[in-house]
Amino acid sequence: MVEKSSQNEGTHSLSTETKLGRITTFVFMRNLIAFLQRFRIFLVFAVLQILALFWYVTFLSFPRNQFLTTNNQIAIQLLEWEHSITKHFNLSENNTKLQWENIYWRKRQPQFMYQLSRKSFKINDTLFEQQYTYIPAEIINSSVTRQNNYFTINIGEAQGIKRGMGVFCHEGVVGIIHYASAHYALVKTVLTSDINIDVNIHMKKTDLPGLLIWDGKDPRYGIITGINNDLKVKRWSKVETRGGSGIFPKGLPVGKVSYTEPIEGQALWKVEIRFAADYRRLQRVYVIKNLHLAEQTNLEARIPTDD
Amino acid sequence: MNIIYKHIIRFLVFTLLQALVLNQLNLGFGIHLMIQPLFIMLLPFDLTVIALMGIAFLMGALIDIFSNTYGLYTSSLVLLAYLRPIVFKLYGPREGYDPLKEPTANDMGASWFSLVFGILLGLHTFWFFLLEIFEIGRLGFILQKTILSGIFSFLFALLIQSFILNNKQKK
Repeated sequence: MVEKSSQNEGTHSLSTETKLGRITTFVFMRNLIAFLQRFRIFLVFAVLQILALFWYVTFLSFPRNQFLTTNNQIAIQLLEWEHSITKHFNLSENNTKLQWENIYWRKRQPQFMYQLSRKSFKINDTLFEQQYTYIPAEIINSSVTRQNNYFTINIGEAQGIKRGMGVFCHEGVVGIIHYASAHYALVKTVLTSDINIDVNIHMKKTDLPGLLIWDGKDPRYGIITGINNDLKVKRWSKVETRGGSGIFPKGLPVGKVSYTEPIEGQALWKVEIRFAADYRRLQRVYVIKNLHLAEQTNLEARIPTDD
Repeated sequence: MNIIYKHIIRFLVFTLLQALVLNQLNLGFGIHLMIQPLFIMLLPFDLTVIALMGIAFLMGALIDIFSNTYGLYTSSLVLLAYLRPIVFKLYGPREGYDPLKEPTANDMGASWFSLVFGILLGLHTFWFFLLEIFEIGRLGFILQKTILSGIFSFLFALLIQSFILNNKQKK
């Protein structure tokens, strides 16, 4: 009897355990549903936020999901209409600049020149091989007030534009192609925080190499990092591209040094420069194609790496 | 006018105004005028939060597509839509809001409007510039941009709102 009762108790307790388990899972599910219902709003909010931030971060890091930017048919059409109105705003100024440029090149035309020395005048292709070609383009959308500013230009892969090509205007450097679609391209301008164009500060005796960045404050001023403070940097000395990475030719104007200040705790100058070009009213640019770029990268790939 | 058509027209006008006009302006000192928070603010009281966030997401995405900002406006607008009912509840009348009224300065009073819209706009603008600059070491610059842009956007919003509402009342 005693054994039986104990057995009975055992089976009974087992069945109550499974029942209890069922009840706990049921309670858990009910709690979960109640939790989801209670935080439904927050969950929707979180999902939408994650979508937006994912879009933001992926674009900043790598131009992969381009389908929702201005390389989009409808948006580009509207921007074209807008541009067809706003392009006339600085027309006279731009015309003057183009005229000056025309004069500049016209002066160098052989038929307008007096031939001083007959022998050396001929353009000799065996001595000077053309290294860079330039493709003209028009800016159809731009911003200068953000932390990272991108311009949209009206040429793209159809004209041979590729990621990593340099862009400049009449007065100076503008930026680097960030992404090219079939007929349009995005330019990552010097008005971005991590543009890192290699530049030289042109001094009387030497050239100081540094990297150009932007602090996001004023579209008229940029900053050069990596200048050692054992050399004095004169105000208003010219800043030009170094041409080391093959994106820009050597000697394109960037700006002039406007202000220097020692960085505390480091043996470096903080050099502020005034850009040569006014990016707020820029309309026409040129894209640079380096015909020797493949040769240079092939050559530099042979540099032995230290393990 | 039907209230739905009114809001759809407002949606289009505000989106295009922000994307094609205000984003191209350069006022200096880090001032960036933003009008799209006003649209979310002026949506009716009885809209659910999820619908609010959906509309905000759509509007932000449209502005982002036009101005190459990739999710910046979307994220800050969704945050604004999420916070709107919370702030409304905090500063609302005890018996709840009258669904016939609109959350405007004329219907609800200028002091209520400036308080609620000021808080929402401030949070939205702060989040916007925090994301854009993305560097905690430059908090001073973020705050400068937030405060200046917030004040000017607020004044601009008041100006636009008084124009729209005055026209409506005369009719």
